[in-house]
Amino acid sequence: MIVAFAFLAGMTLVSALGVVVSRNVVHSALFMSGSFLGVAGFFVMLNAPALAAFQVLIYVGAVTVVILFGIMFTQRPQVRHFRTILQRQLWPGLFVALGVGAFLAYVLSIEDWAGTEPGNGPREVAALGEILLGVNGSPPIFGLLFEVISVLLLVAVIAAIVISRRKTGEGVDRGVEE
Amino acid sequence: MPPQAQQFIDALNATIPLEGYLVVGAIMFAIGAWGALIRRNAVVVFMCIELMINAVNLTLVAFADYLPGARGAGVGYAVLVIAVAAAEVAVGLAIALAVYRTRKTVNVDEVDLMKG
Repeated sequence: MIVAFAFLAGMTLVSALGVVVSRNVVHSALFMSGSFLGVAGFFVMLNAPALAAFQVLIYVGAVTVVILFGIMFTQRPQVRHFRTILQRQLWPGLFVALGVGAFLAYVLSIEDWAGTEPGNGPREVAALGEILLGVNGSPPIFGLLFEVISVLLLVAVIAAIVISRRKTGEGVDRGVEE
Repeated sequence: MPPQAQQFIDALNATIPLEGYLVVGAIMFAIGAWGALIRRNAVVVFMCIELMINAVNLTLVAFADYLPGARGAGVGYAVLVIAVAAAEVAVGLAIALAVYRTRKTVNVDEVDLMKG
């Protein structure tokens, strides 16, 4: 357990640092998918294999591809110096982040979580489905949240199309006669 | 097998305490917050926000597995968080694309007016 935990923690945190400090935006995106893979491994260790599958499909697959598309649309390929990728808030940002991280880690470590034992998670997919729909003893609010999330996803898809659509007569469509 | 080796193997097989996962989640959240504060590129800021969301998901699932009173509800919340994050990244990148069309840049320190 310790070996797997140390490997996954190292992979997740080193990749997360790579997202922040790498000068190439595409490298940042690839580091990000590595970090997501590490979190998926943590989900397997935490008795949630179905959630790990969701993580791989949605984050490592879909979100990484969407972000790579965003990079292709908005970046000019050029090598950047380290100075030019950062705002001026390098040191204040570092202090804020260190403070937040140290504070969270301290509070979470000294808190007395009485009677913690691994193995309470919904290991079977059927149990996860019952939680998601709020039936069979799980909090009934999940049924409402499930419906709200589906409406939210529909609204987000339509909003993405509307916002990013090119107005008629604006810009150039190569190979398209207007 | 000498007792030291047996002890070593037992230590390797011991269960990870809950605090281990929580600390990893906290450090990952801090790294994401750092990146979201210092990077200029809006797309990289999105990636760092995704890192923070993943750290919170890790914490939720750790609680769901370790606390008996939670009865696994954290995993359900994690699924909802993943869905909201997917919606956020779709709309956010569409906005970045629209900004790039009008301003020819996505650096967050150069895009500081809401009207064109």
